[in-house]
Amino acid sequence: MGHQYQAIQWNKGKVQYDIAIVTFAVIYIAIFMAVGLMAFATSDPIVLMIRALGTCAFLLLTFILLIGPLARISDRFKPMLYNRRHFGVFTFLVALAHFGLALTWYHGFGPLNPLVSLFLSNQSGGTFPGFPFELLGLAAFIILLLMAATSHDFWLNNLSAPVWKALHMLVYVAYGLLVIHIAAGALVTEKSPVYPVLVIAAFGLVSGLHLITGLREAKNDALLNKMEAKSWVSVAAPNDIPDKRAVIVPLPGGERVAVFRDGKKISAVTNVCRHQNGPLGEGRIIDGCVTCPWHGWQYRMEDGISPPPFTEKIATYNLKMMNGMVFLNPDANAPGTYVDPLVIGQTAEQRS
Amino acid sequence: MKRAGSILIPRPHREDDFFIGWAKPPAVDRRFLLGAVPTIAAFSGGLGWLVANELADPGAGSWQTSSTHTVTGQLVRDPYPMIRSVDPNGNYKTTLVVAMGKCTSSLELAMAAGGVHTGTGVLIERRGRHMLEVPFDDAAWLSPAPTNVTIPDVVSEVVIESISLQGMIMDTKCFFGVMRPGRGKTHKACASLCIRGGIPPSFWAHTKDGREVVMLLTDENGNAVSTDILPFVAEAVEAEGSVVRSGDWLQFRVATSKYRLI
Repeated sequence: MGHQYQAIQWNKGKVQYDIAIVTFAVIYIAIFMAVGLMAFATSDPIVLMIRALGTCAFLLLTFILLIGPLARISDRFKPMLYNRRHFGVFTFLVALAHFGLALTWYHGFGPLNPLVSLFLSNQSGGTFPGFPFELLGLAAFIILLLMAATSHDFWLNNLSAPVWKALHMLVYVAYGLLVIHIAAGALVTEKSPVYPVLVIAAFGLVSGLHLITGLREAKNDALLNKMEAKSWVSVAAPNDIPDKRAVIVPLPGGERVAVFRDGKKISAVTNVCRHQNGPLGEGRIIDGCVTCPWHGWQYRMEDGISPPPFTEKIATYNLKMMNGMVFLNPDANAPGTYVDPLVIGQTAEQRS
Repeated sequence: MKRAGSILIPRPHREDDFFIGWAKPPAVDRRFLLGAVPTIAAFSGGLGWLVANELADPGAGSWQTSSTHTVTGQLVRDPYPMIRSVDPNGNYKTTLVVAMGKCTSSLELAMAAGGVHTGTGVLIERRGRHMLEVPFDDAAWLSPAPTNVTIPDVVSEVVIESISLQGMIMDTKCFFGVMRPGRGKTHKACASLCIRGGIPPSFWAHTKDGREVVMLLTDENGNAVSTDILPFVAEAVEAEGSVVRSGDWLQFRVATSKYRLI
């Protein structure tokens, strides 16, 4: 949690994670170069490296985009989600190497500034096969640059979580641009059917998994529309809330609330983590704190404040017990507002 | 996530299988990752092999940067810089001359053009076609040839008065071997930049039996092409013009208005 900033936050798990992704990229590029150089005596190592870096960056980005929906499908992919920001920055560095080498090799050493050449050297904008695919790659690169530059918690805190999240959702725009960058560039030059199959498979996998998990969420959200706004919403019988865990209450308007039970105590907080909008209700109580399943951010369940020295706050909700059921007031309290937990077995009189 | 009435119940997990980044990973995650990491590594390697293995032949050509090459002959400036020599059998041998990088139009050959000289530079070669890459300063690569060397003037002859051909406009420097592949869409921007910089363009076509034909491309009067042809570079085009033999090279002379994207 962000009480102080460090340039790069590493722990043992993150170091192992980073070593793994760098290793995957090195294996890919090394084998690509070896096979490419052996396949033809006239192979050009610089052109091969441009292609190896470009395809590697696309592969890494595809993998990054698969992690989110895979983690929704199985908890086993959550460790991959945990350090996705380092993964993203590393992917940007591979894309930067591709961009720099291609810009120098294809647009450098000439009568125009390489960046001017990037805009002027392909004048077939009006036709699809002739379309300047380089500009699509440039647009995607700028998005990745913005994302990498703002990936630090400093920006998350200063831009606010919704703005930061919206900015980083542009990754899907970047991915779409890259698919067209490849389709209008390499796929026009290279004739092997393997390439379109691979690109379609990657795009299909990313969009398919997002569609499946998105539809599942939409199905759950559909019940929101059937609910009417009420002053108090019925949640569950206290013992139906699993110990140390939560049930999630969708409210009209799209908000979700996580109602946690820790032994005999029950409290409600927003389902949205202050860090990266992680689903708190899918987390658990650890050391008396609600713990986010994405990055382990913690909040006290009774007031929604991170334990010292951290200071993050999330919204809390009022609960009451009626006829053996837990009821939730759908109006959120200001972040950090203390609310007495419901205690199982305690009457309203004892509570007051 | 399971729906129960108006609430959602997250997937249950055991006490010991909740992953938190800053804590020791649960055994079930460690087991999963121990299998996943080698699998992804193998997949990465396999994909690297597959993608590289499917690349098209980059084509013929070489850029012999580790040695220098010397040519003696008549220095010709137009339509493009070249040294024209004659072999012992009396056959013309043309060596195109380009500067380092993509700015051949900066070569100052006016003083030396027409005379017989020896040029020294880096050889670029594709299927018997030669090109010499030289520094910008004449003195660094040109020297007077012995006085007994004479090169008869070339007489250009029209081979075909009017013909329509399908092919691709490429810059000779990359196409001859500086970049491999030096053709196609991914090379279009570079080829445009080279031609803008004065590197001779060539027209690359194939005969019905698949034989490669490479002709030097000029305007309809045999002069260097203008930048008006840039939108047609590295695209499949149809061009209508005349074919002229000039020494050992064929020139394809085409007016800018006679190009059409296919």
